[in-house]
Amino acid sequence: MGKGLLYFAQSVRELASLAKDLANGELSGKMPSRGNEMASSLKSLHATLKHLTWQTQQVAKGDYLQRVNFMGDFSEAFNTMVEQLDERQTALMEEIRRSREKELALTQSNNLFEAITRQISQWIIVMDKKNRRWLFANHDAGGILFDQACESHLREWLASRAGDMENEPRTAEMELTNGEITQYFSVVVHPLNWYGHNSLAFVLTDISHEKEHLQELENAAYRDTLTKEYNRHYGMNILNKWLTHSYTFIICFVDIDNLKYVNDKYGHAEGDKYILCVVGILRDFSSDAIICRLGGDEFMLLAQGWGMNDAEERFETLRLRLTAHNDQLGSFYNHSMSYGVIEVGAGSTMSASDLLGIADEKMYEYKRAHKAQRNATLTS
Amino acid sequence: MENIFAKKGHSSFSWEKLGDIKEGRGDLGEEMPVLVYRLMQYTMLDVLTKAHGEEQANDYFRNAGFLAGSEFAQNVLDLSVEFNAFVANLQRTLAELKIGILRMEAFDPSNGDIVLTVGQDLDCSGLPVTDETVCNYDEGFISGILEAYTGKKYAVREVDCWANGDRVCRFSGNVVE
Repeated sequence: MGKGLLYFAQSVRELASLAKDLANGELSGKMPSRGNEMASSLKSLHATLKHLTWQTQQVAKGDYLQRVNFMGDFSEAFNTMVEQLDERQTALMEEIRRSREKELALTQSNNLFEAITRQISQWIIVMDKKNRRWLFANHDAGGILFDQACESHLREWLASRAGDMENEPRTAEMELTNGEITQYFSVVVHPLNWYGHNSLAFVLTDISHEKEHLQELENAAYRDTLTKEYNRHYGMNILNKWLTHSYTFIICFVDIDNLKYVNDKYGHAEGDKYILCVVGILRDFSSDAIICRLGGDEFMLLAQGWGMNDAEERFETLRLRLTAHNDQLGSFYNHSMSYGVIEVGAGSTMSASDLLGIADEKMYEYKRAHKAQRNATLTS
Repeated sequence: MENIFAKKGHSSFSWEKLGDIKEGRGDLGEEMPVLVYRLMQYTMLDVLTKAHGEEQANDYFRNAGFLAGSEFAQNVLDLSVEFNAFVANLQRTLAELKIGILRMEAFDPSNGDIVLTVGQDLDCSGLPVTDETVCNYDEGFISGILEAYTGKKYAVREVDCWANGDRVCRFSGNVVE
């Protein structure tokens, strides 16, 4: 009986000790002695907790194959969690695999891109969008980047295009001056991921020849071949445009006096010299005035920011500067010009040809008045 | 005249000799009550113990379990998968065949030491408590499975047993050099 009580007391102590360990989460403590039936349920709980610890460790290691069975709602919750982790891991691995494939494809594309760019004549430069550093330049572009001034100018220009760059390619035109040589480029800007760098690829095509050719065509279409000033067609276009925009400006109709006489008497070469002399004088009217040769001895000058009186005063000064040639030795004909200035207000409704006609009429009035004055001077 | 086509007797085990149970038990099916299994198991233990002593009888059971575990592993389990998948598969298969609820408690990959429990064990769960461990057959069965998978000899001992007053049977396995 006494032994039985002692055994019972020991069994209770062991039971209490295991219960305390389990309450503290301690699974490695001393277990009740074999044959302690009172502790059997707690030992079963201990075994379950040990198993769940192992299961959780396995999940932590990425082993999603294990399942918990016969533990009621806990089994379902745990297994659902592990299945979801497994699905997420699988999806993540698939995403990683795809990313690696994309990375490989990107690298291959970049390699191809580099190989192609080395074969073509255009300049291709790749610049880091954030720190504006060069990431790639093909052979031709690489040469220009060694010239410090050129490189600096190029970097500044390209960087200025980087700020407002969206995701679509853009085209712009760039002027690059190296010493006395000016080159023109058509620049296509492409946003690009260059080996992980958020970058811009600039494709520069030298259009200097095209630009020069275009300039020649423009000159042929809009310029007078002798004086290099605008022709009638271009001048009338400008006049119409200014009228459409309701600008305030002056129109001056200029006629070179005695040009027919000079041509007939001294030949057209001398006549051309006379014309160029007059044009040289007209150019001094104002740097932003538009000078057009309407034909033969007639010119039109358009200028904004001038009143009629100031303009007439200026033309008179210029005319006197022209007639001053007559006092020079070797001058064998009279240099002179007649002009008629009208002011066009913002509200003008008259046509370009009507306005030009009025200016022409004023020019004739001036010419007649000065002819009469000259004759009076000669006869007095 | 001797029948030279006859197969060897049933005293020599091979997996094929388990026969075609589906065909043979078309109406009764492949399953039977645990009671019948235990009836055979413990009557056999009784006879062997009386004939050879308890220790020897337990050894016979352990050896039989080892043979069963080896054959079971080689014919039912996938031995080519890595350890975690093997354990998950073993746990599922033992539950499906209603042998018991296997639960891993610990595995040390550095030396192969393993601790696992089997709940609702086919051999012992529900037995009267007799202050002894009775799952000798299970010890051999687990040992046979582990050896078939790892290629290493395992000594498996039952640490806790239902018959010893516990609710689950705990087995500890160690690699034997």
